[in-house]
Amino acid sequence: MTKGVGVSAMLARDYREFKSILDTRGVIFSFSGYLSEGILYSLGDALRHKMALEDTDLTTVKKVFSVFIEQAQNIIRYSAEKVQGNLGKAIELSSGMVTIGTDGDKFFIVCANTMLNEDVPKLKARLEQLAGMDKDAIKAYYKEQLREPPEENSRGATIGLIEIARRASEPIQFDFDPVGDKQQFFCLKVSI
Amino acid sequence: MDHLKIAATDRSPDVDFDFEAGVFSLKGESYPEDASTVFGPIFAALDRFFSSADIRELRFDFDLIYFNSSSAKALMNMFQMMENAAGRGTKVVVNWHYAADDETMKEFGEDFSEDLENVTFNLVPSSSAA
Repeated sequence: MTKGVGVSAMLARDYREFKSILDTRGVIFSFSGYLSEGILYSLGDALRHKMALEDTDLTTVKKVFSVFIEQAQNIIRYSAEKVQGNLGKAIELSSGMVTIGTDGDKFFIVCANTMLNEDVPKLKARLEQLAGMDKDAIKAYYKEQLREPPEENSRGATIGLIEIARRASEPIQFDFDPVGDKQQFFCLKVSI
Repeated sequence: MDHLKIAATDRSPDVDFDFEAGVFSLKGESYPEDASTVFGPIFAALDRFFSSADIRELRFDFDLIYFNSSSAKALMNMFQMMENAAGRGTKVVVNWHYAADDETMKEFGEDFSEDLENVTFNLVPSSSAA
């Protein structure tokens, strides 16, 4: 029989180290695991409150919030790691990671999720295209995409990525790391 | 047509379309996972309304704090519907409300208005910060 309460010698040190890694990287919060729209709402709400309490100017708050929402919704839509089911209503949870922090006077938002190899080239091409554009070109491209009918199977990916690039104050950074032979770990970092 | 009233949720705006009076309002935030859940009923109602004969003057009040990119696309669609109606002779006035210190919402208003030739588009800054 297991005891209800126990003292584990390494527990506090272990998690303190884990937390201090996040702290030294300037992380405000980091979420890893299954994301739902409800979690997205709650994290976004906490993020807005945190920034408002620190007197962040409204335009910056809006930019950070917008990039956070677009990135988190991309995870929900595109993560290869999903569970689906029906618990009275249809439920779909997608796994990924969202991290928000500060680095000097800038905010950063990093999102990561696994994706299937076959979906990588298209995303990579889109991101490379955006990374090569200046602010005016990104704005013009955004307006062009606003008028376009949605692409098939895209669920709004193109315009979402342009919105992210548009709000960034430095060029967006992205990277892919192979996971086994069928998937890649995709990571996108945006500074504001 | 019946008054279209949809209460706001955490991630969707308050919709108040008074077809009788020709006064329409969209207020709050819009970032649902699937924009068509919010804008589907709006488009359907506007489609029916614009295809009816005797429309004289319409006013649209947008008072949005935040919307995601798929909602932006849907808004663009709405403005195109208005522009088409205005091109056929209906007087359409849009009031785009935003907090004066919110550059993002101001810029969205400017972006949308650039495509509209027959709709009167007013940028309306309000002094109270959100």
